[in-house]
Amino acid sequence: MKTSFKLSDRILLIVVFFSTIFVLTSFFVIRGSLTQILALGGLIYILSFLTAYFISWSFSQRIIRLNFKMQEMAAGNLSQRVKSLKNDEIGQLTNSLNELMGRLQTGVAQDVSKHHELAKAKTDFVAIASHQLRTPLSIIKWYVDYLVAGDAGDINKEQEKYLKEVYKSNERLIELVNALLDVSRIDVGTFSIEPEPTDIIERAESALKKFMPEIKAKEIHLIKEYGQFPRLLLDPRLIKMVFNNIFSNSIKYIPRKGTIKISIKKTERDIYIKISDTGCGIPREEQPKIFTKLFRGINAKKIESVGTGLGLYIVKAIVEKSGGKIWFHSPSLELLLDAGEKDADVPLDKRNRGTTMNITIPLKGMRKKPGSKKLNSSEY
Amino acid sequence: MAQKTILIAEDEIAMVEALSKKFEKEGFKVIKANDGEEALKIALESKPDILMLDIIMPKMDGMELLKKIREDDKWGAGVPIIMLTNLSDADNVSEAAKFQVYDFLVKTDWRLDDIVNLVKQKLNL
Repeated sequence: MKTSFKLSDRILLIVVFFSTIFVLTSFFVIRGSLTQILALGGLIYILSFLTAYFISWSFSQRIIRLNFKMQEMAAGNLSQRVKSLKNDEIGQLTNSLNELMGRLQTGVAQDVSKHHELAKAKTDFVAIASHQLRTPLSIIKWYVDYLVAGDAGDINKEQEKYLKEVYKSNERLIELVNALLDVSRIDVGTFSIEPEPTDIIERAESALKKFMPEIKAKEIHLIKEYGQFPRLLLDPRLIKMVFNNIFSNSIKYIPRKGTIKISIKKTERDIYIKISDTGCGIPREEQPKIFTKLFRGINAKKIESVGTGLGLYIVKAIVEKSGGKIWFHSPSLELLLDAGEKDADVPLDKRNRGTTMNITIPLKGMRKKPGSKKLNSSEY
Repeated sequence: MAQKTILIAEDEIAMVEALSKKFEKEGFKVIKANDGEEALKIALESKPDILMLDIIMPKMDGMELLKKIREDDKWGAGVPIIMLTNLSDADNVSEAAKFQVYDFLVKTDWRLDDIVNLVKQKLNL
Protein backbone atom coordinates (compact mmCIF):
# COMPACT_ATOMS: atom_id res chain seq x y z
CA MET A 1 0.00 0.00 0.00
CA LYS A 2 1.24 3.44 -0.84
CA THR A 3 2.02 5.56 2.22
CA SER A 4 1.38 9.27 1.89
CA PHE A 5 1.56 12.23 4.16
CA LYS A 6 -1.18 14.75 4.81
CA LEU A 7 -0.70 18.26 3.37
CA SER A 8 -0.26 19.72 6.87
CA ASP A 9 2.32 16.98 7.74
CA ARG A 10 4.34 17.73 4.61
CA ILE A 11 4.56 21.46 5.36
CA LEU A 12 5.51 20.71 8.94
CA LEU A 13 8.19 18.29 7.73
CA ILE A 14 9.61 20.88 5.35
CA VAL A 15 9.78 23.48 8.13
CA VAL A 16 11.43 20.98 10.54
CA PHE A 17 13.85 19.77 7.82
CA PHE A 18 15.04 23.23 6.80
CA SER A 19 15.16 24.48 10.43
CA THR A 20 17.36 21.50 11.36
CA ILE A 21 19.70 22.17 8.41
CA PHE A 22 19.83 25.80 9.47
CA VAL A 23 20.70 25.00 13.10
CA LEU A 24 23.26 22.29 12.20
CA THR A 25 24.93 24.39 9.53
CA SER A 26 25.08 27.41 11.86
CA PHE A 27 26.81 25.46 14.64
CA PHE A 28 29.02 22.95 12.90
CA VAL A 29 29.77 24.28 9.44
CA ILE A 30 29.75 28.06 9.42
CA ARG A 31 30.65 28.84 13.03
CA GLY A 32 30.81 32.30 11.65
CA SER A 33 29.43 35.73 12.03
CA LEU A 34 25.90 36.83 12.72
CA THR A 35 25.64 38.19 9.15
CA GLN A 36 26.50 34.80 7.67
CA ILE A 37 23.93 33.09 9.93
CA LEU A 38 21.27 35.66 8.99
CA ALA A 39 22.04 35.20 5.25
CA LEU A 40 21.78 31.45 5.60
CA GLY A 41 18.52 31.87 7.57
CA GLY A 42 17.11 34.03 4.77
CA LEU A 43 18.08 31.46 2.13
CA ILE A 44 16.52 28.62 4.13
CA TYR A 45 13.38 30.74 4.63
CA ILE A 46 13.02 31.31 0.87
CA LEU A 47 13.66 27.63 0.07
CA SER A 48 11.07 26.41 2.58
CA PHE A 49 8.54 28.99 1.36
CA LEU A 50 8.99 27.97 -2.28
CA THR A 51 8.74 24.25 -1.50
CA ALA A 52 5.57 24.72 0.62
CA TYR A 53 4.10 26.96 -2.08
CA PHE A 54 4.79 24.36 -4.78
CA ILE A 55 3.16 21.58 -2.74
CA SER A 56 0.06 23.73 -2.00
CA TRP A 57 -0.18 24.74 -5.67
CA SER A 58 -0.04 21.13 -6.78
CA PHE A 59 -2.86 20.30 -4.29
CA SER A 60 -4.99 23.19 -5.57
CA GLN A 61 -4.57 22.03 -9.15
CA ARG A 62 -5.71 18.53 -8.27
CA ILE A 63 -8.74 19.94 -6.38
CA ILE A 64 -9.65 22.14 -9.34
CA ARG A 65 -9.42 19.12 -11.67
CA LEU A 66 -11.52 17.07 -9.26
CA ASN A 67 -14.13 19.81 -9.01
CA PHE A 68 -14.31 19.99 -12.81
CA LYS A 69 -15.00 16.25 -13.03
CA MET A 70 -17.59 16.49 -10.23
CA GLN A 71 -19.45 19.16 -12.16
CA GLU A 72 -19.63 16.80 -15.14
CA MET A 73 -21.03 14.13 -12.84
CA ALA A 74 -23.55 16.56 -11.38
CA ALA A 75 -24.66 17.38 -14.92
CA GLY A 76 -25.70 13.75 -15.28
CA ASN A 77 -22.63 12.01 -16.64
CA LEU A 78 -22.76 9.26 -14.04
CA SER A 79 -20.25 7.07 -15.89
CA GLN A 80 -17.54 9.71 -15.32
CA ARG A 81 -14.66 8.53 -13.09
CA VAL A 82 -11.62 10.38 -11.73
CA LYS A 83 -8.14 8.85 -11.92
CA SER A 84 -6.09 9.02 -8.75
CA LEU A 85 -2.33 8.23 -8.68
CA LYS A 86 -1.66 9.10 -5.06
CA ASN A 87 -3.19 7.88 -1.86
CA ASP A 88 -3.23 11.18 0.00
CA GLU A 89 -6.39 13.03 1.12
CA ILE A 90 -7.27 13.95 -2.47
CA GLY A 91 -6.56 10.39 -3.60
CA GLN A 92 -8.85 9.05 -0.86
CA LEU A 93 -11.54 11.64 -1.68
CA THR A 94 -11.30 10.65 -5.34
CA ASN A 95 -11.67 6.95 -4.51
CA SER A 96 -14.70 7.65 -2.30
CA LEU A 97 -16.24 9.77 -5.04
CA ASN A 98 -15.69 7.03 -7.65
CA GLU A 99 -17.31 4.52 -5.31
CA LEU A 100 -20.25 6.85 -4.69
CA MET A 101 -20.78 7.38 -8.42
CA GLY A 102 -20.66 3.64 -9.00
CA ARG A 103 -23.40 3.09 -6.43
CA LEU A 104 -25.42 6.01 -7.74
CA GLN A 105 -25.19 4.72 -11.29
CA THR A 106 -26.42 1.27 -10.26
CA GLY A 107 -29.19 2.87 -8.19
CA VAL A 108 -30.31 5.11 -11.04
CA ALA A 109 -30.27 2.19 -13.46
CA GLN A 110 -32.42 0.19 -11.03
CA ASP A 111 -34.77 3.16 -10.54
CA VAL A 112 -35.16 3.66 -14.29
CA SER A 113 -35.93 0.00 -14.88
CA LYS A 114 -38.31 0.01 -11.90
CA HIS A 115 -40.00 3.12 -13.32
CA HIS A 116 -40.41 1.41 -16.71
CA GLU A 117 -41.79 -1.70 -15.05
CA LEU A 118 -44.29 0.37 -13.06
CA ALA A 119 -45.31 2.37 -16.12
CA LYS A 120 -45.80 -0.82 -18.11
CA ALA A 121 -47.79 -2.44 -15.28
CA LYS A 122 -49.94 0.67 -15.12
CA THR A 123 -50.63 0.75 -18.84
CA ASP A 124 -51.26 -3.01 -18.96
CA PHE A 125 -53.68 -2.63 -16.07
CA VAL A 126 -55.54 0.20 -17.75
CA ALA A 127 -55.67 -1.69 -21.06
CA ILE A 128 -57.04 -4.82 -19.41
CA ALA A 129 -59.43 -2.85 -17.20
CA SER A 130 -60.64 -0.85 -20.19
CA HIS A 131 -61.23 -3.97 -22.23
CA GLN A 132 -63.11 -5.56 -19.36
CA LEU A 133 -65.18 -2.41 -18.89
CA ARG A 134 -65.91 -1.97 -22.57
CA THR A 135 -67.44 -5.43 -22.87
CA PRO A 136 -70.39 -4.84 -20.49
CA LEU A 137 -70.70 -1.27 -21.81
CA SER A 138 -71.14 -2.54 -25.37
CA ILE A 139 -73.68 -5.11 -24.18
CA ILE A 140 -75.71 -2.35 -22.47
CA LYS A 141 -75.40 -0.14 -25.55
CA TRP A 142 -76.61 -2.82 -27.95
CA TYR A 143 -79.51 -4.08 -25.84
CA VAL A 144 -80.82 -0.60 -25.07
CA ASP A 145 -80.48 0.21 -28.76
CA TYR A 146 -82.36 -2.99 -29.57
CA LEU A 147 -85.17 -2.11 -27.13
CA VAL A 148 -85.46 1.52 -28.27
CA ALA A 149 -85.65 0.40 -31.92
CA GLY A 150 -88.70 -1.67 -30.91
CA ASP A 151 -86.99 -4.87 -32.06
CA ALA A 152 -88.08 -6.66 -28.88
CA GLY A 153 -91.65 -5.39 -29.05
CA ASP A 154 -93.39 -2.05 -28.73
CA ILE A 155 -92.43 0.28 -25.89
CA ASN A 156 -94.40 3.25 -24.66
CA LYS A 157 -93.15 6.86 -24.64
CA GLU A 158 -92.19 6.78 -20.96
CA GLN A 159 -90.17 3.57 -21.38
CA GLU A 160 -88.49 5.04 -24.43
CA LYS A 161 -87.56 8.17 -22.49
CA TYR A 162 -85.98 6.16 -19.65
CA LEU A 163 -84.14 3.86 -22.01
CA LYS A 164 -82.69 6.86 -23.80
CA GLU A 165 -81.43 8.15 -20.45
CA VAL A 166 -79.73 4.78 -19.84
CA TYR A 167 -78.20 5.01 -23.32
CA LYS A 168 -76.90 8.54 -22.70
CA SER A 169 -75.31 7.62 -19.37
CA ASN A 170 -73.75 4.56 -20.92
CA GLU A 171 -72.27 6.69 -23.69
CA ARG A 172 -70.73 8.93 -21.01
CA LEU A 173 -69.16 5.92 -19.37
CA ILE A 174 -67.77 4.73 -22.71
CA GLU A 175 -66.28 8.16 -23.31
CA LEU A 176 -64.73 8.16 -19.82
CA VAL A 177 -63.18 4.71 -20.29
CA ASN A 178 -61.78 5.78 -23.67
CA ALA A 179 -60.38 8.99 -22.17
CA LEU A 180 -58.73 7.08 -19.30
CA LEU A 181 -57.19 4.70 -21.79
CA ASP A 182 -55.87 7.65 -23.80
CA VAL A 183 -54.42 9.31 -20.71
CA SER A 184 -52.59 6.12 -19.81
CA ARG A 185 -51.21 5.91 -23.37
CA ILE A 186 -50.09 9.53 -23.19
CA ASP A 187 -48.46 9.04 -19.77
CA VAL A 188 -46.56 5.96 -20.87
CA GLY A 189 -45.73 7.49 -24.24
CA THR A 190 -47.06 4.61 -26.33
CA PHE A 191 -49.49 6.58 -28.47
CA SER A 192 -48.71 7.02 -32.13
CA ILE A 193 -48.95 10.03 -34.45
CA GLU A 194 -49.42 8.97 -38.06
CA PRO A 195 -49.46 12.02 -40.36
CA GLU A 196 -50.96 11.70 -43.85
CA PRO A 197 -52.18 14.31 -46.36
CA THR A 198 -55.28 15.71 -44.66
CA ASP A 199 -57.80 18.45 -45.37
CA ILE A 200 -57.80 20.35 -42.06
CA ILE A 201 -61.02 22.29 -42.86
CA GLU A 202 -62.85 19.04 -43.60
CA ARG A 203 -61.64 17.68 -40.23
CA ALA A 204 -62.91 20.77 -38.40
CA GLU A 205 -66.27 20.62 -40.19
CA SER A 206 -66.57 16.91 -39.53
CA ALA A 207 -66.01 17.51 -35.79
CA LEU A 208 -68.48 20.39 -35.80
CA LYS A 209 -71.20 18.27 -37.44
CA LYS A 210 -71.59 16.18 -34.29
CA PHE A 211 -72.45 19.31 -32.28
CA MET A 212 -74.90 20.87 -34.77
CA PRO A 213 -78.07 19.78 -32.92
CA GLU A 214 -76.79 21.48 -29.74
CA ILE A 215 -75.61 24.56 -31.65
CA LYS A 216 -79.11 24.91 -33.13
CA ALA A 217 -80.85 24.24 -29.81
CA LYS A 218 -78.79 26.92 -28.05
CA GLU A 219 -79.09 29.28 -31.03
CA ILE A 220 -75.32 29.76 -31.06
CA HIS A 221 -73.99 32.24 -33.57
CA LEU A 222 -71.13 30.57 -35.49
CA ILE A 223 -68.48 32.62 -37.25
CA LYS A 224 -66.03 30.73 -39.47
CA GLU A 225 -62.89 32.17 -40.96
CA TYR A 226 -61.06 29.55 -42.98
CA GLY A 227 -57.93 30.16 -45.01
CA GLN A 228 -56.99 28.26 -48.16
CA PHE A 229 -54.94 25.16 -47.45
CA PRO A 230 -53.36 22.41 -49.48
CA ARG A 231 -53.61 18.98 -47.88
CA LEU A 232 -51.34 19.04 -44.84
CA LEU A 233 -49.46 16.20 -43.18
CA LEU A 234 -51.69 15.65 -40.15
CA ASP A 235 -52.94 12.63 -38.26
CA PRO A 236 -56.61 12.85 -39.26
CA ARG A 237 -57.87 11.10 -36.10
CA LEU A 238 -55.83 13.24 -33.75
CA ILE A 239 -56.60 16.61 -35.33
CA LYS A 240 -60.30 15.74 -35.20
CA MET A 241 -59.92 14.81 -31.51
CA VAL A 242 -58.39 18.24 -30.90
CA PHE A 243 -61.32 19.98 -32.64
CA ASN A 244 -63.85 17.74 -30.89
CA ASN A 245 -62.54 18.55 -27.45
CA ILE A 246 -62.26 22.30 -27.96
CA PHE A 247 -65.69 22.57 -29.64
CA SER A 248 -67.24 20.44 -26.93
CA ASN A 249 -65.94 22.80 -24.21
CA SER A 250 -67.07 25.93 -26.06
CA ILE A 251 -70.56 24.57 -26.70
CA LYS A 252 -71.02 23.07 -23.24
CA TYR A 253 -70.24 26.27 -21.34
CA ILE A 254 -71.79 28.88 -23.60
CA PRO A 255 -75.15 30.50 -22.77
CA ARG A 256 -78.03 30.65 -25.24
CA LYS A 257 -77.40 32.94 -28.19
CA GLY A 258 -73.68 33.04 -27.49
CA THR A 259 -71.03 33.34 -30.21
CA ILE A 260 -68.29 30.92 -31.26
CA LYS A 261 -65.68 32.01 -33.77
CA ILE A 262 -63.51 29.41 -35.49
CA SER A 263 -60.52 30.73 -37.37
CA ILE A 264 -58.04 28.48 -39.21
CA LYS A 265 -55.36 30.43 -41.00
CA LYS A 266 -51.82 30.17 -42.24
CA THR A 267 -48.91 32.10 -40.77
CA GLU A 268 -45.39 32.10 -42.10
CA ARG A 269 -44.52 28.78 -40.47
CA ASP A 270 -47.68 27.43 -38.88
CA ILE A 271 -51.31 26.59 -39.19
CA TYR A 272 -52.92 28.89 -36.66
CA ILE A 273 -56.19 27.63 -35.16
CA LYS A 274 -58.10 30.07 -32.99
CA ILE A 275 -61.40 29.17 -31.35
CA SER A 276 -63.08 31.93 -29.35
CA ASP A 277 -66.33 31.78 -27.43
CA THR A 278 -68.49 33.94 -25.21
CA GLY A 279 -68.84 31.15 -22.63
CA CYS A 280 -68.26 31.23 -18.88
CA GLY A 281 -64.48 31.61 -19.27
CA ILE A 282 -61.79 30.37 -16.89
CA PRO A 283 -61.36 32.12 -13.51
CA ARG A 284 -57.92 33.71 -13.30
CA GLU A 285 -56.87 31.77 -10.19
CA GLU A 286 -57.68 28.47 -11.92
CA GLN A 287 -55.97 29.23 -15.20
CA PRO A 288 -52.63 27.58 -14.37
CA LYS A 289 -54.42 24.27 -13.82
CA ILE A 290 -56.57 23.91 -16.89
CA PHE A 291 -54.28 21.52 -18.77
CA THR A 292 -53.82 19.22 -15.78
CA LYS A 293 -55.46 15.84 -15.50
CA LEU A 294 -58.99 15.66 -14.04
CA PHE A 295 -59.20 19.42 -13.51
CA ARG A 296 -62.56 21.14 -13.98
CA GLY A 297 -63.19 24.82 -13.34
CA ILE A 298 -65.44 25.71 -10.44
CA ASN A 299 -67.74 27.76 -12.69
CA ALA A 300 -67.75 24.99 -15.31
CA LYS A 301 -68.96 22.47 -12.71
CA LYS A 302 -71.89 24.75 -11.85
CA ILE A 303 -72.99 24.87 -15.48
CA GLU A 304 -72.40 21.23 -16.36
CA SER A 305 -71.88 18.69 -13.59
CA VAL A 306 -70.71 16.02 -16.02
CA GLY A 307 -67.20 16.06 -17.46
CA THR A 308 -64.05 14.01 -17.20
CA GLY A 309 -61.54 16.84 -16.88
CA LEU A 310 -59.30 14.92 -19.28
CA GLY A 311 -60.07 16.60 -22.61
CA LEU A 312 -57.63 19.50 -22.49
CA TYR A 313 -54.90 17.29 -21.02
CA ILE A 314 -55.26 15.00 -24.05
CA VAL A 315 -55.41 17.96 -26.47
CA LYS A 316 -52.25 19.48 -25.04
CA ALA A 317 -50.39 16.17 -25.31
CA ILE A 318 -51.47 15.71 -28.95
CA VAL A 319 -50.55 19.27 -29.95
CA GLU A 320 -47.20 19.35 -28.19
CA LYS A 321 -46.10 15.86 -29.24
CA SER A 322 -46.93 16.86 -32.82
CA GLY A 323 -44.53 19.79 -32.59
CA GLY A 324 -47.22 22.44 -32.06
CA LYS A 325 -48.18 24.87 -29.29
CA ILE A 326 -51.36 25.55 -27.35
CA TRP A 327 -52.31 28.50 -25.16
CA PHE A 328 -55.41 30.42 -24.20
CA HIS A 329 -56.80 33.77 -23.17
CA SER A 330 -59.69 34.23 -20.79
CA PRO A 331 -61.40 36.68 -20.84
CA SER A 332 -61.56 36.45 -24.58
CA LEU A 333 -61.22 40.10 -25.55
CA GLU A 334 -61.89 39.48 -29.19
CA LEU A 335 -65.52 38.47 -28.76
CA LEU A 336 -66.22 40.28 -25.50
CA LEU A 337 -65.90 43.67 -27.11
CA ASP A 338 -68.77 42.76 -29.44
CA ALA A 339 -70.73 41.02 -26.69
CA GLY A 340 -70.18 43.98 -24.39
CA GLU A 341 -72.31 46.18 -26.59
CA LYS A 342 -75.19 43.75 -26.32
CA ASP A 343 -74.71 43.32 -22.55
CA ALA A 344 -74.37 47.00 -21.80
CA ASP A 345 -76.87 46.71 -18.95
CA VAL A 346 -75.10 43.74 -17.30
CA PRO A 347 -72.44 44.72 -14.73
CA LEU A 348 -68.90 43.86 -15.85
CA ASP A 349 -68.30 41.22 -13.15
CA LYS A 350 -71.52 39.40 -14.07
CA ARG A 351 -70.73 39.18 -17.77
CA ASN A 352 -69.33 36.02 -19.31
CA ARG A 353 -65.61 36.13 -19.73
CA GLY A 354 -65.26 33.91 -22.76
CA THR A 355 -62.19 31.93 -23.77
CA THR A 356 -59.93 31.93 -26.81
CA MET A 357 -57.97 28.73 -27.45
CA ASN A 358 -54.96 29.16 -29.70
CA ILE A 359 -53.22 26.24 -31.36
CA THR A 360 -50.37 26.21 -33.82
CA ILE A 361 -49.17 23.23 -35.82
CA PRO A 362 -46.12 23.50 -38.08
CA LEU A 363 -47.00 23.93 -41.77
CA LYS A 364 -44.61 21.10 -42.56
CA GLY A 365 -47.04 18.88 -40.65
CA MET A 366 -47.35 16.93 -37.44
CA ARG A 367 -44.23 15.25 -36.18
CA LYS A 368 -44.50 11.50 -36.79
CA LYS A 369 -44.39 9.51 -33.58
CA PRO A 370 -44.15 5.74 -33.67
CA GLY A 371 -46.13 3.95 -31.00
CA SER A 372 -48.06 0.78 -30.44
CA LYS A 373 -51.36 2.39 -29.41
CA LYS A 374 -53.83 4.78 -31.01
CA LEU A 375 -55.70 7.39 -29.05
CA ASN A 376 -59.42 6.90 -29.42
CA SER A 377 -61.45 8.89 -26.94
CA SER A 378 -63.36 10.69 -29.66
CA GLU A 379 -65.10 8.97 -32.46
CA TYR A 380 -63.17 9.23 -35.73
CA MET B 1 -82.38 -12.90 -53.54
CA ALA B 2 -80.67 -15.79 -51.74
CA GLN B 3 -80.41 -15.46 -47.99
CA LYS B 4 -76.95 -14.37 -46.90
CA THR B 5 -75.08 -16.18 -44.14
CA ILE B 6 -72.99 -14.50 -41.49
CA LEU B 7 -70.74 -16.25 -39.01
CA ILE B 8 -70.34 -14.50 -35.67
CA ALA B 9 -67.34 -15.70 -33.62
CA GLU B 10 -67.75 -14.26 -30.13
CA ASP B 11 -67.37 -15.81 -26.69
CA GLU B 12 -69.62 -13.35 -24.86
CA ILE B 13 -73.07 -14.96 -25.08
CA ALA B 14 -75.02 -11.72 -24.53
CA MET B 15 -73.19 -10.11 -27.43
CA VAL B 16 -73.75 -13.02 -29.79
CA GLU B 17 -77.44 -12.91 -28.89
CA ALA B 18 -77.80 -9.17 -29.52
CA LEU B 19 -75.95 -9.39 -32.84
CA SER B 20 -77.66 -12.52 -34.08
CA LYS B 21 -81.16 -11.28 -33.20
CA LYS B 22 -80.49 -8.08 -35.13
CA PHE B 23 -79.06 -9.86 -38.16
CA GLU B 24 -81.86 -12.45 -38.17
CA LYS B 25 -84.42 -9.64 -38.08
CA GLU B 26 -82.70 -8.19 -41.13
CA GLY B 27 -83.07 -11.48 -42.98
CA PHE B 28 -79.64 -13.03 -42.48
CA LYS B 29 -78.90 -16.63 -41.61
CA VAL B 30 -76.67 -16.46 -38.53
CA ILE B 31 -74.11 -19.09 -37.53
CA LYS B 32 -72.69 -18.66 -34.03
CA ALA B 33 -69.39 -19.88 -32.63
CA ASN B 34 -68.20 -19.28 -29.07
CA ASP B 35 -64.49 -19.95 -29.55
CA GLY B 36 -61.87 -19.69 -32.27
CA GLU B 37 -61.47 -23.41 -32.97
CA GLU B 38 -65.19 -23.96 -33.29
CA ALA B 39 -65.45 -20.92 -35.54
CA LEU B 40 -62.69 -22.21 -37.85
CA LYS B 41 -64.28 -25.64 -38.14
CA ILE B 42 -67.75 -24.25 -38.88
CA ALA B 43 -66.41 -21.59 -41.23
CA LEU B 44 -64.54 -24.09 -43.40
CA GLU B 45 -67.55 -26.41 -43.50
CA SER B 46 -70.34 -23.92 -44.12
CA LYS B 47 -68.44 -21.18 -45.99
CA PRO B 48 -70.56 -18.19 -44.89
CA ASP B 49 -70.82 -15.02 -47.03
CA ILE B 50 -69.20 -12.83 -44.38
CA LEU B 51 -67.51 -13.31 -40.99
CA MET B 52 -67.46 -11.17 -37.89
CA LEU B 53 -64.66 -12.06 -35.47
CA ASP B 54 -63.93 -11.08 -31.90
CA ILE B 55 -60.24 -11.07 -30.90
CA ILE B 56 -60.14 -12.36 -27.33
CA MET B 57 -61.67 -15.83 -27.46
CA PRO B 58 -60.86 -19.17 -25.83
CA LYS B 59 -58.88 -21.91 -27.61
CA MET B 60 -57.88 -19.73 -30.59
CA ASP B 61 -57.95 -15.95 -30.67
CA GLY B 62 -59.49 -13.91 -33.46
CA MET B 63 -56.18 -12.88 -35.01
CA GLU B 64 -55.04 -16.49 -35.38
CA LEU B 65 -58.47 -17.45 -36.66
CA LEU B 66 -58.21 -14.69 -39.26
CA LYS B 67 -54.83 -16.01 -40.46
CA LYS B 68 -56.07 -19.63 -40.61
CA ILE B 69 -59.11 -18.62 -42.67
CA ARG B 70 -56.93 -16.69 -45.10
CA GLU B 71 -54.74 -19.81 -45.48
CA ASP B 72 -57.68 -21.51 -47.22
CA ASP B 73 -56.84 -20.36 -50.72
CA LYS B 74 -60.21 -21.06 -52.33
CA TRP B 75 -62.97 -19.65 -50.15
CA GLY B 76 -61.06 -18.22 -47.17
CA ALA B 77 -58.66 -16.04 -49.12
CA GLY B 78 -61.42 -13.80 -50.45
CA VAL B 79 -64.29 -13.96 -47.94
CA PRO B 80 -65.05 -10.56 -46.34
CA ILE B 81 -64.07 -10.44 -42.68
CA ILE B 82 -64.89 -7.76 -40.12
CA MET B 83 -63.05 -7.65 -36.80
CA LEU B 84 -65.40 -6.59 -34.00
CA THR B 85 -63.52 -6.14 -30.76
CA ASN B 86 -62.82 -3.90 -27.82
CA LEU B 87 -59.07 -4.13 -28.32
CA SER B 88 -58.20 -1.09 -30.37
CA ASP B 89 -54.41 -1.43 -30.30
CA ALA B 90 -52.62 -0.18 -33.36
CA ASP B 91 -50.68 -3.48 -33.37
CA ASN B 92 -53.84 -5.51 -33.90
CA VAL B 93 -55.28 -3.04 -36.39
CA SER B 94 -52.17 -3.04 -38.59
CA GLU B 95 -51.73 -6.82 -38.24
CA ALA B 96 -55.37 -7.35 -39.28
CA ALA B 97 -54.90 -4.96 -42.21
CA LYS B 98 -52.19 -7.28 -43.58
CA PHE B 99 -54.85 -9.98 -43.86
CA GLN B 100 -57.27 -7.75 -45.77
CA VAL B 101 -60.01 -7.33 -43.20
CA TYR B 102 -62.91 -5.27 -44.50
CA ASP B 103 -63.09 -3.22 -41.33
CA PHE B 104 -61.86 -3.15 -37.74
CA LEU B 105 -64.64 -2.03 -35.39
CA VAL B 106 -64.47 -1.10 -31.72
CA LYS B 107 -67.68 -2.47 -30.22
CA THR B 108 -68.41 0.47 -27.95
CA ASP B 109 -68.25 2.87 -30.92
CA TRP B 110 -70.85 1.05 -33.01
CA ARG B 111 -74.62 0.81 -32.82
CA LEU B 112 -76.24 -2.44 -33.96
CA ASP B 113 -77.96 -0.69 -36.88
CA ASP B 114 -74.68 0.71 -38.15
CA ILE B 115 -73.00 -2.70 -37.92
CA VAL B 116 -75.82 -4.27 -39.95
CA ASN B 117 -75.63 -1.44 -42.51
CA LEU B 118 -71.89 -1.92 -42.89
CA VAL B 119 -72.35 -5.64 -43.55
CA LYS B 120 -75.14 -4.95 -46.06
CA GLN B 121 -72.97 -2.40 -47.80
CA LYS B 122 -70.16 -4.92 -48.17
CA LEU B 123 -72.52 -7.57 -49.52
CA ASN B 124 -74.20 -5.03 -51.82
CA LEU B 125 -77.61 -5.61 -50.23
